[in-house]
Amino acid sequence: MSIEREDLTVKNSTGSGDTDRAEMSKLRVENLTKHFGRIVAVEDVSLDVHSSEVFALVGDNGAGKSTLMNMLSGVHEPSEGQIYKDGKPVVFSNPSEARDNDIETVYQDLALMDDLDIATNIFMGQFPRTGFGPLQVIDWDETYERAETIMMERLGRDLDIKTEVEFLSGGQRQLVAIGRSLAFDPDVIILDEPTSALSVDATRLVQDTIDTLADQGITIIIVSHNIESVLKHADRIGVLFRGSLVDIKQPEETDLEELNELMTTGTLSSGRLDD
Amino acid sequence: MATDQGFMRRTFGDRDDVMLTLLDNMIWPILGLVLIGVLVLVPQTFNSFELILWGAVPIGLLVLAESLCLLSGHFDLSIGSIAGFSAIFTGMVLGTCPSCWGLTTNPWIGFGIILLVGSLIGFVNGVMIAKVGLNPFLQTLAFLITFEGAKTALQTQPITGLPSLYTQVGGTPRFAIGFMLVVFFVVGLVLRYTSFGQAVYALGSSENSAREVGIDTERLIIIIYTISGILSAVAGLMLTGFVGVVPPLIGEGLVFQAFAGAVIGGISLFGGRGKITGALGGVILIQVVQSALNNSQLIGATQIQMINGIVLFVAILLYSTQSKLRSRILASGAV
Repeated sequence: MSIEREDLTVKNSTGSGDTDRAEMSKLRVENLTKHFGRIVAVEDVSLDVHSSEVFALVGDNGAGKSTLMNMLSGVHEPSEGQIYKDGKPVVFSNPSEARDNDIETVYQDLALMDDLDIATNIFMGQFPRTGFGPLQVIDWDETYERAETIMMERLGRDLDIKTEVEFLSGGQRQLVAIGRSLAFDPDVIILDEPTSALSVDATRLVQDTIDTLADQGITIIIVSHNIESVLKHADRIGVLFRGSLVDIKQPEETDLEELNELMTTGTLSSGRLDD
Repeated sequence: MATDQGFMRRTFGDRDDVMLTLLDNMIWPILGLVLIGVLVLVPQTFNSFELILWGAVPIGLLVLAESLCLLSGHFDLSIGSIAGFSAIFTGMVLGTCPSCWGLTTNPWIGFGIILLVGSLIGFVNGVMIAKVGLNPFLQTLAFLITFEGAKTALQTQPITGLPSLYTQVGGTPRFAIGFMLVVFFVVGLVLRYTSFGQAVYALGSSENSAREVGIDTERLIIIIYTISGILSAVAGLMLTGFVGVVPPLIGEGLVFQAFAGAVIGGISLFGGRGKITGALGGVILIQVVQSALNNSQLIGATQIQMINGIVLFVAILLYSTQSKLRSRILASGAV
């Protein structure tokens, strides 16, 4: 999953090379801006995310991470700018249009139903069906079989799919939420604060799962506060400050201190910004 | 990975598995014990088991209405009032008593009116809760009081002279019992095998999560309360048939028995958990206890309401104990 330095996106890029870059990227945003009234939440952000890449978006509170994520997942429409998926311009008016373009989002609250089992949570709203003509009913055998395949083969976890979610650990709950996104067979998964408030073991479980998914060719975008975690697992880290993308770093060329400084001041005292 | 392996073994050991199955189906051993107790203490109760089941039909339909609301994380205090009001309103349209309106004698129009009245009240309940954002307790309490009062405002004497087909629906024991069992069967199938049914469980488990996975929760709440209103109206129709006339106090106090039946049957007070088969067991239990009280020499008619309250109290106590035991067993293996 190593990314050549030349492939890295240049923010606010212009010129004829843009089309080529858009074609080679799994997901590209170009000059994306979002206003809420007079407040500019995201301003002129351009970036590429490559196929099978783990790309992290970090930033302080109010940096614009959530707004950018919501534009990619169809919750908000951009005020200006363009999103490209597999080189083609796309417009998402709602989350289901993002889903139609194989982009799934796992939100921080996970949207799980505690009283229901893992398989039902994974397939809620999209159950496999069986029957004749208009008389279609839920095919529970198929539901459990497919849920087991997702947990065992896609996520590599031996969890009983009939276990109620209420009795799972934080890490296992995160897996179920990721499992639900896999049910739609996406090629991009956006994870909102996937390791927030998790124990060390649970964080490791989630990080291993992210690596597994990337190995399967899925592009992962992580929106996170946890810089330590993204330094270990992301291929590249985009830093947002007050709505602007101030830098994109590779983990091996940066450290915790530098990322913290970028997140809190938007610049580096040494002046090392990779423009 | 290591934390996952053996999770099920630790969580659901053989003994725990049996315990969980027992807890989830607690109604059946309890019903068995109650049946034995009644058989020993008040054997005359079972002189006509068909009569017990026939008497269970209206309360059964109300338990079903309440169960649906409870499963969705809501509840409906107005079901008894809807049953009573829709029965009296339709009785006024169809009846030939001096103070009745007597607008028609066509029983089919009567069926249509009673269903329409029930569904309209349920629909308004749903809209006020889902769209206006009123608390379900306050909304349905307001309608309980409103329609109890409306019953009295409409009629204070029993309504007689109803078309025979109209009263035969609830007045023919085997038809009424069969109808109730079919409705339970259909609702059970719908809850288990349709996206609508699973959405009801999802809504009851977490309204926010249900919304986030794409369920139109507002629409679902309105549909649930409308169905609850329809089931309550059918209960009113069955009560009318059971008695043969429409008594002015029809439906009064039935909401508490409906709550007790649903809770004893294992329907969670907090939504998202419970089976319709359990609710049916709750209905039979409530009706057997009611019949035993009516047949008992030791308990007078004036004490029955108090005993009903105690039954409800025991039901809630059982539910609380069951929930705690269940959580303890399952949590013992969680990591």
